Amino acid sequence: MIGLWDTTGNEVVKALAAERRSAGGVASGLALTLIAVVEEKKVREAEAAATIAASAHPCRLLIVVRSDLEGRSRLDAEIVVGGRLGPAEAVVMRMYGRLALHAESVVMPLLAPDVPVVTWWHSEPPDIIANDFLGVVADRRITDSKLAPDPVAALRQRAKDYAPGDTDLTWTRITLWRTLVAGAFDTTEERVTGALIVAPLNDPTAALMQGWLKSRLGIDPVWEHTDRSPRMHSVELQCANGDCVRVTRDEGTALFSRTGQEDRYMPLPKRPVGDELAEELRRLDPDQIYGEALGALAGVAGLDSKPAMRVHVWKDPMQAERAGEASGAFAGPGGSAG
Amino acid sequence: MGNPLRTAQDRRLPRIPEPCALVIFGVTGDLSRKKLIPAVYDLANRGLLPPGFVVLGFARRDWGDGDFESLAYEAAKKGARTPWREDVWTRLASQFQFVPGSFDDDAAFDHLATTLDDLRERNGIAGNAAFYFSIPPAAFPLVLNQLARTGMADNAKSGGWRRVVVEKPFGNDLKTAMALNKLVDEVFTPADVFRIDHYLGKETVQNILALRFANNLFEPVWNSKYVDSVQITMAEDVGIGTRAAFYDASGAARDVLQNHLLQLLALVGMEEPTSFDPNDVRAEKLKVLKAISLPADIAKGSVRGQYLPGWVAGERAVGYLEEANIPPDSTTETYVAVRLGIQNRRWAEVPFFVRVGKRMPRRVTEIAIMFKKAPHLPFDPADVEMLGNNQLVIRVQPDEGVVLKFGSKVPGTTMEVRDIAMDFQYGEAFTESSPEAYERLVLDVLVGDRTLFPDAAEIEQSWRVIDPLEAAWAGTKPEPYRSGEWGPRASDEMLAREGRAWRRA
Repeated sequence: MIGLWDTTGNEVVKALAAERRSAGGVASGLALTLIAVVEEKKVREAEAAATIAASAHPCRLLIVVRSDLEGRSRLDAEIVVGGRLGPAEAVVMRMYGRLALHAESVVMPLLAPDVPVVTWWHSEPPDIIANDFLGVVADRRITDSKLAPDPVAALRQRAKDYAPGDTDLTWTRITLWRTLVAGAFDTTEERVTGALIVAPLNDPTAALMQGWLKSRLGIDPVWEHTDRSPRMHSVELQCANGDCVRVTRDEGTALFSRTGQEDRYMPLPKRPVGDELAEELRRLDPDQIYGEALGALAGVAGLDSKPAMRVHVWKDPMQAERAGEASGAFAGPGGSAG
Repeated sequence: MGNPLRTAQDRRLPRIPEPCALVIFGVTGDLSRKKLIPAVYDLANRGLLPPGFVVLGFARRDWGDGDFESLAYEAAKKGARTPWREDVWTRLASQFQFVPGSFDDDAAFDHLATTLDDLRERNGIAGNAAFYFSIPPAAFPLVLNQLARTGMADNAKSGGWRRVVVEKPFGNDLKTAMALNKLVDEVFTPADVFRIDHYLGKETVQNILALRFANNLFEPVWNSKYVDSVQITMAEDVGIGTRAAFYDASGAARDVLQNHLLQLLALVGMEEPTSFDPNDVRAEKLKVLKAISLPADIAKGSVRGQYLPGWVAGERAVGYLEEANIPPDSTTETYVAVRLGIQNRRWAEVPFFVRVGKRMPRRVTEIAIMFKKAPHLPFDPADVEMLGNNQLVIRVQPDEGVVLKFGSKVPGTTMEVRDIAMDFQYGEAFTESSPEAYERLVLDVLVGDRTLFPDAAEIEQSWRVIDPLEAAWAGTKPEPYRSGEWGPRASDEMLAREGRAWRRA
């Protein structure tokens, strides 16, 4: 590991190259560059998650921590090749002052040549991804609406701000649920006429489940709010012939019940963020099913026909603060930047 | 109408089998404990088993229900690759049932049949069952006849699918293999017979197909114009372990050459399949197997070896003849090297050197494509002395990956060229958390995907390669080699005669 304090982007590029050279045999194929946008107190968490994900998808990991926008511009960097981050090679960068608003100037030369870039916000998702150049440069963008103060509102915002290639980890979290529910209809031809989701108000996974069922089945699932369970509690589908299929969560297991059959239990573990991230990195093309579910959730149609490329929109939070209003937008990276 | 909740675009949703039962014959055996039970646990833990999945264990011993449960528990916990979760196991174990009985016991099989019928009522398993033969081949006919007698193998009668999984050895020669295939195909329908060659369940072996058919870079040079020879090596550092009786009766050629290595050869040599449909892939593999030619003089084009005492990896190893339960005058081989050819336009005149051995210096399985030297070298001969053949090596295990070996300038002020290896290793995932071969294959059986299972014709064709070798070797003595060496010297000489050498694997 190399630590560089009060350094420059060029020094970081050189140090990473030197570390790779001296590490010798560890160099393995790189499938992608993963940019993680993190707050200081979540750096270790993000590292742990990226280590798990990197074991399935060898990647260069660039962790960007931006803080203290009002202070002096300064860059600290930590370079790890092999060792505690597993097969990933990682650069943790802490950026302060005006530099933090131009994180891309440090990150761009560190992107591995010609492999896809994935940006993951392990923090409150940005309102408008186009305002963050680290999102504009990415082929895939992963947000986590659960980290927003109002997760369901954050998901609606994701629909408004959607571009193909966006996904949200709240969607990843219901893959196991969806597997169970979809599996129930592998062996029957019954038409589904209605659905009932029991989940707390503001549960983003329930909102996506509702959107998914709506978009796939053309029904209007009912969301029954509960405060007995901190997470989604159950999903029930009613069939045309009166049969009913229900999946109920109980800690790490799901109770699977179906009219006329014995109840069964299936594993429904809460996966670590690293596993969720690994699932996301499996596919670097747009997830249309997510797009449809998100569109149904927010009542926005045609999400997947939106352009996949974003154009950077400069926004200076300092200026906004000073003026007390939204600042003017200058399009493109060539736009004026303070 | 398909399932409206599934679409081809939704690749997050895994393939999950229909509700079904897995019946394991010989559930207390080695394979079942080391591979099958852990694979079933891992599948459950990954959420890949359907609700309504039952394991029926059939074995001879007088086990109580509790004994069986603790055996399965130990086995799963020891062999599991995914993290251990007690609650997953408890749920799974509640779906385990033990059916005691011997294979000639009609009552036990009637009991098994009724148990399966009961499941239909109770568990919503619409008659689906896979029978896994984790038993010695001698017992196959007995069990198959029992399944036929009770009608358990009958798709129509059971109202769902009935599949059978057979492990190697698939017979002992062409004749026995054909008899076995005939018997299995009669009792079950041929499409319901799954023959496991666990090498095909390995990620790196499946990756051979991706490497060859997803890229444009390799195919143009994948032929006799550019390839000098191909070396396929499967070396094990261990001896025969506790398999003395079986091993001494078969030997290295029947044990692994007939199945694993010829399958690797088929994947490397085959033409592009029309699609990845099981029938298309098998058709191409079969064509290559049919095109295999043996050396004109088997005595010259093959070498058998048998290990002597020696040292392997810092430990003393006994010789084959000193192993427990091996007759002191045994002429069974523990090493085989053979020069095969493939008679088609792509591979004309390209030798395929295939070798397998026990008590080699290290455990390694790899396929090396040795390219021809450049037709002209505009260098001073002294400067390219260290330049060898370009090589593309597919490492199957361990350190799964691909190596490309090519010439490169030695840094300095003179133009000197030497070989360097560009080494690509798959992420840890391919070695650590990726599904074990058996996990993948058991899932494929339950889902009904036959792509990774060799069919009867492939098995029989492989025996047509082995049988003449065995016939020529009859009455000869294998060459001795010291444990911890890369086989007998005769094997090196076989390649040296034509100006080639084994790659040190």
